[in-house]
Amino acid sequence: MTDAYRDFPPPIGVRTVRPSTFAQYRTLLARDLRQEFRTREMLSSMGIYAVLVLVIFGASFAQVAHEMDLLKISGGLIWALIVFTSLLGLNRSFSREREEGALEGVLLVPLDRSIIFLAKATANLLFLLTVELITLPLFFFLFLSGSEFPTTFWMILGPLGAGSVGIAGVGTLLATMTANTRGKDVLLAVLFIPLAWPLLYACVVATTAALLGPEAVEVSYLGPVVLALGYDVILIAVSWLLYDFVVSA
Amino acid sequence: MRGLRADIVLPVLLIVGTLLTALGFVLAFTTAPLVYGAEASEPALINGQWVTNRLLLSQKIFYFHMPVAVVSFAALTFTAIFGVLFLVRRDRIWDTRGRVATEVALVFIMMTMVSGELWERFEWGVWWTWEPRLTTYFILTLLVIGYFILRTAIDDPERRAVYASALGILAFIDAPISLMITRLVPSGVHPVIFRTDSGLSPDMLIPLLLSLAGFICIALALYRLRVREQLLRERLDVLQEMLED
Amino acid sequence: MKSEAYRARGASSATPGAPAPPTQDIPPAPAAATAPAATLPAPTAPTPAPTAPAAAPTPALATAAPTTSAAPPTQDAPRAICVEALCKVFGAHRALDQVSFELPRGAFLSIFGPNGAGKTTLLRILATLTRPSSGTVQVLGHHLKDQSEDLRARIGLISGRSMLYPDLTAEENLIHTARLYGVLDPGARVSELLASVELTARRHDVVRGFSRGMTQRLAIARALVHSPELLFLDEPYSGLDPHAVDLFDGLIAQIRTDCSHSFVMVSHDLEKGFELASHVLMLARGKVVRAGRREDLDFAEFAALYRQTVGRGIA
Repeated sequence: MTDAYRDFPPPIGVRTVRPSTFAQYRTLLARDLRQEFRTREMLSSMGIYAVLVLVIFGASFAQVAHEMDLLKISGGLIWALIVFTSLLGLNRSFSREREEGALEGVLLVPLDRSIIFLAKATANLLFLLTVELITLPLFFFLFLSGSEFPTTFWMILGPLGAGSVGIAGVGTLLATMTANTRGKDVLLAVLFIPLAWPLLYACVVATTAALLGPEAVEVSYLGPVVLALGYDVILIAVSWLLYDFVVSA
Repeated sequence: MRGLRADIVLPVLLIVGTLLTALGFVLAFTTAPLVYGAEASEPALINGQWVTNRLLLSQKIFYFHMPVAVVSFAALTFTAIFGVLFLVRRDRIWDTRGRVATEVALVFIMMTMVSGELWERFEWGVWWTWEPRLTTYFILTLLVIGYFILRTAIDDPERRAVYASALGILAFIDAPISLMITRLVPSGVHPVIFRTDSGLSPDMLIPLLLSLAGFICIALALYRLRVREQLLRERLDVLQEMLED
Repeated sequence: MKSEAYRARGASSATPGAPAPPTQDIPPAPAAATAPAATLPAPTAPTPAPTAPAAAPTPALATAAPTTSAAPPTQDAPRAICVEALCKVFGAHRALDQVSFELPRGAFLSIFGPNGAGKTTLLRILATLTRPSSGTVQVLGHHLKDQSEDLRARIGLISGRSMLYPDLTAEENLIHTARLYGVLDPGARVSELLASVELTARRHDVVRGFSRGMTQRLAIARALVHSPELLFLDEPYSGLDPHAVDLFDGLIAQIRTDCSHSFVMVSHDLEKGFELASHVLMLARGKVVRAGRREDLDFAEFAALYRQTVGRGIA
């Protein structure tokens, strides 16, 4: 009956050794990934949303698609797609923490709170990259199947990587702030887009250059990519420093 | 009562500021020579007209536009400084000061946007281009507006202050990055615009500096006035709360 | 009442196979024979002198075995909590105003008060989740402003929210917490905990499917993963079915057999809170209304004061 518990020793007197920062980071990240594997909630919602955005693109360019070379504006379209999709994902990234107050449970643990940021940003980055991996080929299939791809096509991976890292970093910090507020979806977009704008600009230019061919790449690829990486480094460092204050509030 | 000392400086600042600005404008229109407008790197077709450069009266807006832009960014710098001070010291007064500094920044960035718009319109004949400066100012405007929207969305005063401080710091860092990136990233679509801002002759420099000094005084006066008002209001709230007990 | 029966059994049985104490450097409080002088200072509001208990106390209070039979520590022993002139204010609203009290090791503090009195704020400050505005707070010998990580390893919190991840299983939730705290051999620890809260059968089930009582039991297990010396309880009985209540009481009783564990509980259940407590604290509008050892206070009078405070002092 209810006396069963008494057959076991009382739950006191446990040995603990403060784990390394990396071990804690790994634990937090593994938890995020495991939750996602089980529910596939974020990936599926981001994926579906990306497809819907592509549908809207289709409607937008239906008239002129055969007249225009969409390759020229694809850089911008790709990044518009990525921004909208990542806003959706970022909004939900803290929903599981908030449901039952699990974030508070993590705050009670002796740890450097900035690694909460790192773990969450890494998880968001992985989800974003996964969605990109699935929807970008779809984008090319839907809109660019008639175009001829230049030899520098593979170079879009550069700005894609740099941009995704920056989006995940800044976005995670902002999502932490807006998770607890009224109208949180809109607020995240309002804060995120101006802050991420320089990054977007650089990435669009670099992506467009990669899609246009070697002449464009010579002029406007390396500079923007380096600037995007610089943006990443600076803003992620600042987010790292600010995160303890923000998550503790 | 910190910050509430009888402020003799305030009216003086305001008057001095207004006078200086007015003087700066007058000089700008009278003594400063007319200037060739910005040079385009290639003759560009704008609104059906070939444009290379020309003597412009609209350049006079510069004497208003630049000081205002400088002041807005200076105000944003103070927002970031106050933000850091708040996060470290947790005294509410830093949050109040930060908010007021951002309000001043908002006022001046709006003026910058408007003057930039007008300048663009009169000089190039178009209402908007995605040129580095205008775009950066626009982003800055959005950031500052976002700051206030964030503040409105949070009820808990301490959390509101922490988040606002963090956002202020982020905005301060983002603004120059934005300017840099838009300048350094070559966009192969627009004609790249060079502005011969360096090498201002003394005739041009004096009105510029005068109006800059004038606007700084006005900004400071506005800031102090508003901080006083806010501190008084906070005291009023505290007294009201005490009365309720 | 079942809970008193459990407490009596818990006090009498030796703790079989108790594992080694946690590897912390503060020594446990020595068991002393003399009772300490009351360390809670005089309250701010004037109160009548506590009358000798004329009416027979209710049976529940009389058989509160562990608090008097377990020898309390001496005054020299490090205190569990020491609060001086604690204020929490931001802007106009004062959540806590000049709160001061002390709590010795091994004690059980019950905090009462109307809604908005600052009880939860006080609890959260002590649990390092919120910062105080001014005043000194020492918990388990650590000053709060030092933001010591070691302190967090020694305290635990059970609140209204379970702090669990709904999409993970019971076992995964506990292992996650155990790994974060650095528990050695998390697997064994988790099995032990699941057994204590009778959730072994459901260990591979996702928490989203649990009933409220089961969730709360798992939340208790989660809070105990690292075996905290000081446990904070924020209205732990709300939403519990009677079985879970008994389980919870039993667990608490078991832990209390070891004198070095302290508790701070916020509760609206006056009777239960009084029964479990060795020290009580009543707050209203952020100020201390009454504080003292439970033995020095008369329940009936305390109840009257409570009703009066709640009736009058809704912040």
